[in-house]
Amino acid sequence: MAQTSITDEPLEKLMDINLNDLLRRYRSHPFKDYPIETPHTGMVSFKVKEGQVVKGPGGEWLHRPGTLLYIIEREGNTKRVTALWNGKVSGIRLDLEGRFVEAGELLLFIRHQLDKEEIIDRILTQVLYILPAPQRARYFLAPEISIKMEKRPEGSVSVESGDEVLIMSLMKRDTVISYKGVPGALYKVYFKSGAAVEQGSPLLGICPPDKLQYVQKVIQRIRTEWEK
Amino acid sequence: MRTDQVYMADSVKLLNQLADRISYLIDIKGNSEWANVGGLLGRIQGLHHSLFEIKEADLFEEIDRIEDRVSFLEDRVAEKLSPAEIVNIVRNPQRFTLMDILENVYDSYTELGGEGDCNIDPAIVVARATISRRVKNKLYSHQVMVIGHEKGRGEEYRNGGCARPWGNDKALRYMRVAETEGIPIHFYIFTPGAYPIEDYPGAAQQIARNLYVMAKLRVPMVSFISEGGSGGAEAIGVSGLRLMGSRAYYSVISPEGAAAIEGKIREGERVPRELVEHCAAQLKITAEDSLKLGTVDRIIEEPPLGARRDDYAFFRRLRYEMLRATDEIVLKTKNFRAFRAYALKRRIEEGKEVPEDFELLIGWDLTDLEIERLLEFRFKKYMELGKGYFLENRTFLTKGIRKTKNFASKTYYDLRYGLLRPHRRNVQKVIEEVSSEGSVFLRKVTEPVRAAYDFVFPQPERPSKVVRSEGPERRSIFAEEWESYVSPLANEDCTVTCPNASKYGCLDLWVPDLYGEFCGVCPNCGHHFPLEYQWYLENLFDKNSVHEFNDHIASCNPLCFQGYNARLKKDIKRTDRNSSMITFDARVCGIRLVVAMLFSNFRGGTVGVAEGEKFVRACDVAGTTRRPLLAYIHSTGGIRIHEGTLGVVQMPKCTLAVREYNDNGGLYIVVYDNNSYAGPVASFLGCSLYQFGMRSSRIGFAGPRVIRETTGRDVPPDYHSAKNALRRGHIQGIWDRREFKKNLHDALMTLGGPNLYYR
Amino acid sequence: MSKERVLIANRGEIALRIIQACKDLGLDYVVLYTKEDEFSLHVRIAQQEENGFKRAYRIAGYNDPNEIFSVADEAECTAIHPGYGFFSENFGFARRAAMRTRPLTFIGPRWEVIRDLGSKINTKRLAKNLNVPVIPGSDESIYNELEAEEVAEELFFLQKEQGIQHPSILVKASAGGGGMGIEEVSHLDAFRRIYRRIQNYAKRQFGDEGVLIEQCLRDYQHLEVQLLCSSHGEVVHFGTRNCTIQSAGRQKRVEVAPGFDPAVCEYTFDARAVLDRIVEYSVRLAKHVGYDNIGTWEWIVSRDGSPYLMEVNTRIQVENETSACISRLNGSNEPPSLIRDQIRVAFGDKLGFTQKNISFEGTSIELRIVAEDTKRGFAPWCGTITRFDYPDEPWARLYSHVPRDTPYKIPTEYDPNFALAIIWGQDTKQAKERAKQFQNRTIIEGKGANDESIITNLEYLYNRIDDVLQF
Repeated sequence: MAQTSITDEPLEKLMDINLNDLLRRYRSHPFKDYPIETPHTGMVSFKVKEGQVVKGPGGEWLHRPGTLLYIIEREGNTKRVTALWNGKVSGIRLDLEGRFVEAGELLLFIRHQLDKEEIIDRILTQVLYILPAPQRARYFLAPEISIKMEKRPEGSVSVESGDEVLIMSLMKRDTVISYKGVPGALYKVYFKSGAAVEQGSPLLGICPPDKLQYVQKVIQRIRTEWEK
Repeated sequence: MRTDQVYMADSVKLLNQLADRISYLIDIKGNSEWANVGGLLGRIQGLHHSLFEIKEADLFEEIDRIEDRVSFLEDRVAEKLSPAEIVNIVRNPQRFTLMDILENVYDSYTELGGEGDCNIDPAIVVARATISRRVKNKLYSHQVMVIGHEKGRGEEYRNGGCARPWGNDKALRYMRVAETEGIPIHFYIFTPGAYPIEDYPGAAQQIARNLYVMAKLRVPMVSFISEGGSGGAEAIGVSGLRLMGSRAYYSVISPEGAAAIEGKIREGERVPRELVEHCAAQLKITAEDSLKLGTVDRIIEEPPLGARRDDYAFFRRLRYEMLRATDEIVLKTKNFRAFRAYALKRRIEEGKEVPEDFELLIGWDLTDLEIERLLEFRFKKYMELGKGYFLENRTFLTKGIRKTKNFASKTYYDLRYGLLRPHRRNVQKVIEEVSSEGSVFLRKVTEPVRAAYDFVFPQPERPSKVVRSEGPERRSIFAEEWESYVSPLANEDCTVTCPNASKYGCLDLWVPDLYGEFCGVCPNCGHHFPLEYQWYLENLFDKNSVHEFNDHIASCNPLCFQGYNARLKKDIKRTDRNSSMITFDARVCGIRLVVAMLFSNFRGGTVGVAEGEKFVRACDVAGTTRRPLLAYIHSTGGIRIHEGTLGVVQMPKCTLAVREYNDNGGLYIVVYDNNSYAGPVASFLGCSLYQFGMRSSRIGFAGPRVIRETTGRDVPPDYHSAKNALRRGHIQGIWDRREFKKNLHDALMTLGGPNLYYR
Repeated sequence: MSKERVLIANRGEIALRIIQACKDLGLDYVVLYTKEDEFSLHVRIAQQEENGFKRAYRIAGYNDPNEIFSVADEAECTAIHPGYGFFSENFGFARRAAMRTRPLTFIGPRWEVIRDLGSKINTKRLAKNLNVPVIPGSDESIYNELEAEEVAEELFFLQKEQGIQHPSILVKASAGGGGMGIEEVSHLDAFRRIYRRIQNYAKRQFGDEGVLIEQCLRDYQHLEVQLLCSSHGEVVHFGTRNCTIQSAGRQKRVEVAPGFDPAVCEYTFDARAVLDRIVEYSVRLAKHVGYDNIGTWEWIVSRDGSPYLMEVNTRIQVENETSACISRLNGSNEPPSLIRDQIRVAFGDKLGFTQKNISFEGTSIELRIVAEDTKRGFAPWCGTITRFDYPDEPWARLYSHVPRDTPYKIPTEYDPNFALAIIWGQDTKQAKERAKQFQNRTIIEGKGANDESIITNLEYLYNRIDDVLQF
């Protein structure tokens, strides 16, 4: 006990300072601006106004779609695009209304107020052991891990060095990525399966068993402090 | 002598009784404004409060006055009870329940499978009971199995008499016990409907299983209906005689449910009372209506405002009627003339007081032969249900021709299979027995016999190696699909989004590709877009092999349900068909089979009398022609509410027909596509031993809305998915539309064996 | 009639070559690009040449047909050139172009032809009927295991009869292509297991569990016949090519025209006669199906000189200019442009020449310059190209979407090919020498994500040049 407290103490103090900084920063700007870009070409017509409050998906299984943002019509198909986050519409490009737009055109932002859990997620990237993307590529969870994750809640699947954890799809080739680092519980998956991830962005957050208690303490602290 | 104490107790009791009677009236009427009954209740409460201030004589005078008024009002209510008011009577907590019956109709009983809230399902009560009768001053008792719903008096664990799937499973278990012991079963139906959850064994599946077993249960069964709520009622309702209380109701759907559908009421909104009353009347749910429609056999007279838990006279009558009904079923199997005399006598007695004594004792044991007759009578009785409530649109001439043709083909098939087959089996058996001796001497004897046998019954040609590859025509990308049937949906130059696009990244699909080459299936994720039923007719079966029969049988409006005629007419015009059931024979890769198909465009694929009749006849055709039977369910929304209980009884009717077909060796396969819900799934579809679901089908007892409204719990979006149905053991496999033909062919070959008629 | 406007539904060097062909023919063109290709040369050129209308559209992906048609309508295009890869051999795409409410000219063969020749089995069956030799094996999809075993057994037996040392067969998914879903079986006992694996793979990948079984040929040369046909029934050929030098993933790396050169290599058979035969067979099949655009007939020639038809590529190929380079029209010094001719015939033009007008001169070698590690299974390299220089010679041409004036980040979404060099020589000897010289003078510099130097296949190509054309 005594021994662990000696080694833990300074670390925790360091983290305390960091944590306070982080919390202060988030508190002064608890927002994330999500850009809404056209998924493909087509004719756009907006269904929201500047400043309008929109809702993300709802219901127990997130099966009720969010607020209708805009409609994009291409090849006789009118697609309804709904909000994926709660928030407020900003920077809406009404000049594009009724016009043909190219793919990836920025239409508006959703200014989303981060809630407690999201703050925790963000702060945890600084606390957990992070596996960053080695290349700009598309990533998938290795099937074995993916099956385990489906069956068990986050944080209970453990990995160790040498485990095949990810598949990187690059130049039409799939490369298996083996985990290298401290063994621990796979605490967080930061990417959407099959989505392009920039080099260096976090892919996985791993929590070593000896750090687990500490991580939980951090979470606990954010929970209580954020409310204040 | 009357002490003050006694006087006090008496008056309080009287006042309470009066209050009960008044609130009963209020419940029946559904409001307290009617004839100012609310005021009457107020007067009683006033008396309660001022019990000590009023003089005794004045008090009793007032009580008498109120009582007169109450009696008068009761008479007035009883004089003209509306169907909605009968529903209120049935649902009233003062009404008798199964426990009252067990106490008062039977002499002694032992509950099986649980007691009170300690129970597999407290909504279903099963008891071994004795019921006795007096014959010439001697008491005789019979053993019976009593199975029924227990509504309780508001206890939550009784679930209002809504049996959960495992409750119906318990019922089934004890039906089998009764069968083993050879004792009759008395069913008591007190349910607003089955509890619509899919948890194992599944609401629909279990009801279907019960129906399938009851179809051939080898004991006499009598049922009594107080509250007959659709499928839930049928789960324990197949019987030789169906009795119904005179103030009971029997309906395909609750009047509120019907009103919500008829009025297109959105979820959460209140259903107007007038609409509920209107629907209650339209649905023809009363005992008299049911008797007229033939969905019940007999009415048991109740007091004018319905029997309550202390109506002992009624219980006496019920005991008498249950005994007689069982007697009649038994007698009918023994000696038809005695039965006739007995039944006649009962009819004479009708309306009279219940006699104290029985003239003779009838034993309820049956011999094997009598059991066969019992089953035969049951089958015949159910096949008659709904007769006359569908139309047969055909000229006299064609009718004659059809009859002759039917007769001719029946004779042919009877000869081919009926006469020769058992004979063949016997011959073969002899040969096998003899050969198995293995003696060289004996071979000399059997050899010529075997040769003769082979000559008379040539072996079916063994499918050789080469023939196997003849299987289903394989689709290949340069097949002539472009020239074959293409869905009219394909004639539009536009694209659609696959519903799984966000999950699997499916690209938008060009409609002509999707509904042409892709068979309406997203090539990326395999999502099945709905296709019209005609597509299946053209693509699933061999070219030009579909021959429809019984297309002249048409739906009509047996209940004279308002507005139903117009809707029927519209659908007949729109679909150019007479009912939502299409029956035909066809070939799949050369295998001949009979198909019954429910399709969605006609009244949502719901089942009414015409559909039931067509299905039964399809079973019959498949049976006589010795062909496999396929039920392809393009979509079904359940039992058609506009045909009321006539629709409900199609559930047991069709199930009995299927059971008969199966027992004669038939192979019955069900394939669900799109949405399949409620009654049909809970009977003649769900009872199939081999059921399959298409990729994107949804299968279940009740839709998400009904589940939400009845259970108060929300279900996940994939609750009814084929995958979950597979997980629950409802279906045996999930098929891809693009491989439907192959899968069907494989299923026929593996399940049906070489002669496709598996026994 | 108003001016035709061609939508170029492709990227990389082929987009550039199509732009050039359109300009040569005086046609308008419009290009597509994705976010990743923003700095590709084809986009820059199109944007520079915008006059009066928008010439470059950003789309979600080259693989989404809806994007292509959507832009085609918006940009008022009248035709689509699919290039190679992507939708070039997709009959559904061609069919949609032809059948939509606003039809577009698909620059390629009729969709029916693409469909019929796109199926290996059907091609094989057609060829057999016309007495064109094909690789021994099944000529229709096999779905039945017993049948499959029968075919496998027969193939092993035939090989033993021919005295082949190590007989083996290939099991292929009928609907597969590009080397996917193929496995070799060298012993009959192992057949069933591999058959089942391929069948499952085919079912999962292509929704069709049909399987092809063929004799596995080793020690062969991969030849091609370049044909050009018109909708007026004209068929001409531009000789043969040899594409035997391929990467581990069966990607071509060096192509040479003509297909054999008896002057420098020794063959155990009459090479010229074999070349004539495969040309004749190819023309026979093209005429039979009513082929009406550009196309390549791929052949395998075994060491004893027996040709077998492998498949037909119903599109323009990367290496088309290798053939064009040695072809002369009416004795002109300028080689023909096959892409230009392809576009012309797609719009219904006649060829304007016959086989008699075509003569052949010299040898040409095409080198595919790829950022890949040839020593590590040809793994693609990604990073930024900082310098790209090559000699300008009259006998060499280089096509690339990589700009020479600015650094270029290789997109990770697509094939890592980045340049194509075509070298011509009076004869094979000179062509080889020039090719080596060209490579020596080509300089490619670049940096990877972790500051490591670029890896290319230049050295590999240099080492392989001497191997061309011989067994």
